[in-house]
Amino acid sequence: MNSTDFDAIVVGSGISGGWAAKELTERGLRVLVLERGGNIKHGEDYLGEHANSWQFEHYGLPNRKIEHRDYEIQYKSYAFSEATRHFWNNDRLNPYERNNLKPFNWRRTDVVGGRSLLWGRQVYRWSDLDFAANKVDGSGVPWPVSYSDISHWYSHVESFIGVSGQAEGWSHLPDSEFLPPMDYYKIEKTVKNRMRKKIPEIPITMGRVAVLTVPHKGRQACHYCGPCHRGCSGGSYFSSQSSTLPAAKATGRLTLLPNQLVERLEHDESGKRIVGVNVIDSLTRRRRRFTGRVVFLCASTLASTQIMLNSSSKRHPDGLGNESQTLGRFLMDHLAISHLGTFVDDVEYYYKGERPNGLYIPRFRNLKNKDDTDFLRGYGYQTHVLRPDWEFRFNEKGFGASFKDKLRRPLPIWVWALRAFIECLPRHENRVYLHPRKKDRFGIPLLVTEFEWSDNERKAALDTGVQAKKILRAAGAITMDINQGEKLDEGGDAIHEMGTARMGADPKTSVVNEFNRVHSIDNLYVTDGSFMSSSSCVNPSLTYMAFTARACEHAVTRLKEESLI
Amino acid sequence: MNRRDLMQCAVILFAGLKDSPYALGALSNEQRKVISARAPYIEKTAVNFFNYIQRQAITIASERIIPRTDTPGAIDAGVPRFIELMVSNWLMDGERKTFMLGLQDLLDQSDGDFSALSEARQLDLLEAFESEAADSNWYQFANTLRVWDEDAPFICQLKELTVLGFLLSEKGAREFLQINPMGIFDGSYPLQSDYSSYEKHTLVRLLSRETS
Repeated sequence: MNSTDFDAIVVGSGISGGWAAKELTERGLRVLVLERGGNIKHGEDYLGEHANSWQFEHYGLPNRKIEHRDYEIQYKSYAFSEATRHFWNNDRLNPYERNNLKPFNWRRTDVVGGRSLLWGRQVYRWSDLDFAANKVDGSGVPWPVSYSDISHWYSHVESFIGVSGQAEGWSHLPDSEFLPPMDYYKIEKTVKNRMRKKIPEIPITMGRVAVLTVPHKGRQACHYCGPCHRGCSGGSYFSSQSSTLPAAKATGRLTLLPNQLVERLEHDESGKRIVGVNVIDSLTRRRRRFTGRVVFLCASTLASTQIMLNSSSKRHPDGLGNESQTLGRFLMDHLAISHLGTFVDDVEYYYKGERPNGLYIPRFRNLKNKDDTDFLRGYGYQTHVLRPDWEFRFNEKGFGASFKDKLRRPLPIWVWALRAFIECLPRHENRVYLHPRKKDRFGIPLLVTEFEWSDNERKAALDTGVQAKKILRAAGAITMDINQGEKLDEGGDAIHEMGTARMGADPKTSVVNEFNRVHSIDNLYVTDGSFMSSSSCVNPSLTYMAFTARACEHAVTRLKEESLI
Repeated sequence: MNRRDLMQCAVILFAGLKDSPYALGALSNEQRKVISARAPYIEKTAVNFFNYIQRQAITIASERIIPRTDTPGAIDAGVPRFIELMVSNWLMDGERKTFMLGLQDLLDQSDGDFSALSEARQLDLLEAFESEAADSNWYQFANTLRVWDEDAPFICQLKELTVLGFLLSEKGAREFLQINPMGIFDGSYPLQSDYSSYEKHTLVRLLSRETS
């Protein structure tokens, strides 16, 4: 065996890449992490952290000209603001081709740490309800993995990242390794009590979130300042910047290179081994080639698939490992839809601190047998409490002291929002592919996206309204706003994009095997969201992390068996 | 925007969108320095967009909208300077044109100097402008959760910039609203009668851009 620059090369430094870096270095490998984005530093470069409105240009009001010119896709995210703009992808410089008849919004970052800096931090385990779903109802391909294969990897990940939440013993939403749960708003206690009496069949719990309620592995407990996505120098929420990359660095075996855009992977004559990773330095345009014994693609769902598609060769004419013709297919996201209730209870209470979390209503539809529904699978509700203030009523008539006085106090209502996240079925038509002609500034073909919701998601969306009405009525809402789904979110808006290099037992119908290794390539693993064969209805990042850690163990064991390390 | 839309916007508000700058226990000394060194926007940015008579008019008008009472007013909070900055480099071209034509109209109806009028006359004039704009969509219930109302008439632009310039300023945030103490989360804290809303760092209007 020829010598290589590194034992392992990891593409991407976000949630999955950070885990690959940590697991591989801690198992003794010399690891190179290649990150497309710029090199921001933990803490130091969290420019928006704890900054006040009056310290921002235009007091933080969005710069509309720059947004429309440079962030046309990104700026609509809730996490995009003048406080976080420096984390996001510049859509003018790094575009993709969106089929506007079948729109898919590709939200991406362009910095070390990736979207682990901006993620929603909600973490929920899958169960066999999820892993068996494809097999049961015939959508997609069956998962070659069951809950018992992955449960201890969930524990492995959770005990490192720190997950606060309440153990409930629900079989379809297994408990994590929990730190203490966060506290409730008074109105949430009221709502929960009423639900327990009137609709005991619909449970509710404190959100399970990768935010620390007690100090954990050298990171600080949350101080409840609020907007996590600006970055947290105390490391109170999990990110690769705060946690996995420092752990990898501590081994002395990590090399992390920012501004390195992976153009393509090169394989040997057999077509079964990756022998080189070709990169372009995004600042100098210099091309380089790195070698490693094993390669992990963790660049995010669409980016990893783009690299595989762009690595086509004589042996792999339709993209790396695409013998099944499924690479780029079965793109999924979650469909999110929101319903609200207003309450006049507990208005004599306010709050101190900002809790970066809400209550969670786990999936209760189609659990054991199919309910009387007209759709497959289900959804869970993430809920949030809001106390309206001046921002909801400043556009009134008047001048002077009386006008001013109306701006001062919180309004005497609470708003409780139920935001359903609906499982999306894997569909062949939802796909990405390389544009035959258009290229980016580095000469790489643009990725084209095409995505549409199916009737199944649309029917489930309507059901979320029917059930939300039931919940809000039981909870005591005085008014309700039920979204009838006239205008649904577009694909990608939940920022849970998954699929396009799916996992399966059969190489004829899937891209990666049960250990995330590409069927036809011995040393290539894909462990970001692209391996997902179905989407469940829960937030996916925890599952990417668990599968990444598991794949790392598999890769290292095989390298040792082959005496390659 | 209808009421449902209003509520829809509220939804994407995660329970943590404000921020508090003063309980800095969690921060390193180094970071404390960086933050405390960052000067307020209105103090560090030069602007000379209005002429003297325009600046006088805007200064007085903003104080008529949010006067000093037992708490600071618009002038105390630097609102006039904020407005001049926003009109000069934040409003889009068409919006700026609306503003400047409206300001000229205000001056014309003040015989050239709004600030020289009596306070009562100033208020009469502002109220007349508001009456004339009464049909504007700006006054519609729930038309608050958008980045900016591009069709807002001058008087509405002026009021909204005054409100934002006041409530997002340091004085407005600290002395009219209040700082949310961080360090703990207490979801059952009694709301005393003299308790004001917390100042905010993430405006709900920014979240209104998400689809659902």
